[in-house]
Amino acid sequence: MVRMGELSVSSTPGHVLATIGLGSCIGLVLLEASRPLAGLAHIVLPSSNGGSDAAIGKFADRAVPALLEEMAARGARRSRLRAVLVGGAQMFSLDTASTLNIGQRNEQAVREALTDAGLPVHAAATGGNKGRTVRVYVDSGRVTVKVPGEAEVELFSRTEGAKVSL
Amino acid sequence: MTKTYPEIKLDALREVANIGSGTAATALSVMLGRPVNISVPTALALPLADVVDAAGPPDALVTAVVLPLFGDLQATALLLFAPEDRASLCNLLGVDPDSDMGLSALAEIGNILGSAYIRALTMMTSLELEPRPPQTTTDMLAAIVSTVLAAGAEETDIALLLDSELMVEGAECSLSFMLAPGKDGVDEILARLGLDA
Repeated sequence: MVRMGELSVSSTPGHVLATIGLGSCIGLVLLEASRPLAGLAHIVLPSSNGGSDAAIGKFADRAVPALLEEMAARGARRSRLRAVLVGGAQMFSLDTASTLNIGQRNEQAVREALTDAGLPVHAAATGGNKGRTVRVYVDSGRVTVKVPGEAEVELFSRTEGAKVSL
Repeated sequence: MTKTYPEIKLDALREVANIGSGTAATALSVMLGRPVNISVPTALALPLADVVDAAGPPDALVTAVVLPLFGDLQATALLLFAPEDRASLCNLLGVDPDSDMGLSALAEIGNILGSAYIRALTMMTSLELEPRPPQTTTDMLAAIVSTVLAAGAEETDIALLLDSELMVEGAECSLSFMLAPGKDGVDEILARLGLDA
């Protein structure tokens, strides 16, 4: 379970990395294309504004490099990494500066940080106004997404790449 | 900066929640013509992720009425109904829970309860606070709570959640009421109560 502001990397066969109920937060999945190695960061806000005392996965600008580093430390090669984004919904249409489209701003910040790292986004289930649960199966490199009241959908797999565009 | 709140401050916040939810319960009781009981409120000051855990099962489907508060401080009031509670509350009001009417009745209940809660809070603290129109959504508990907390999470890793439960007597119906102030909001409330940071 990867909770708000946390990140986790696993190469253990049988492991499932999951976040239940992403709202405006982004679940960033990184997969190594050639072997069982996966990481998931639960990103809460776009920018740390230079602060450094927060949970490592909390801000997009720090979480993306941190997850890349963690994957690299486990031997992942940048050119074999696949990135999948889930979440970033606008749960409420509240008209305030602090809550204005946090979901959208989160997605944008994560995409920018990935672009800076030279990594394209291979699949995404983002935006809208519904919460999402993401599961990453380390063995198979499958990424599934579930929205309340709907069936679980396979978004990406290591062998077949992007499955659907949500 | 990450910081926690000592027990005496949590006690004071619990008392705020107690009086606020008491006022809200009275308003609900008048509306339904039935007694409404309240639980002893919990005041949680925990890391963000722990507050989401403490709120309940992350994938539980709940209907939330979200009430943004503005004025001297920023906070969000949140009313949460499990599906069966939503249904029995709507039945008590004589509306179909699955209709638009049902949703707008819940939003109105949220509005009335939130306003009652806020009135108590402003009287205790002399803060000027004003609720904005409520919004309703039905989704996973964790998605709702984390999104509300994210809005106030820029400055701190500790979130404060005041949670009380309202139980309608003679009906299988309860709802929880949460107040999630932004970080400055908590300090402002405490300062007004004479407990400076």
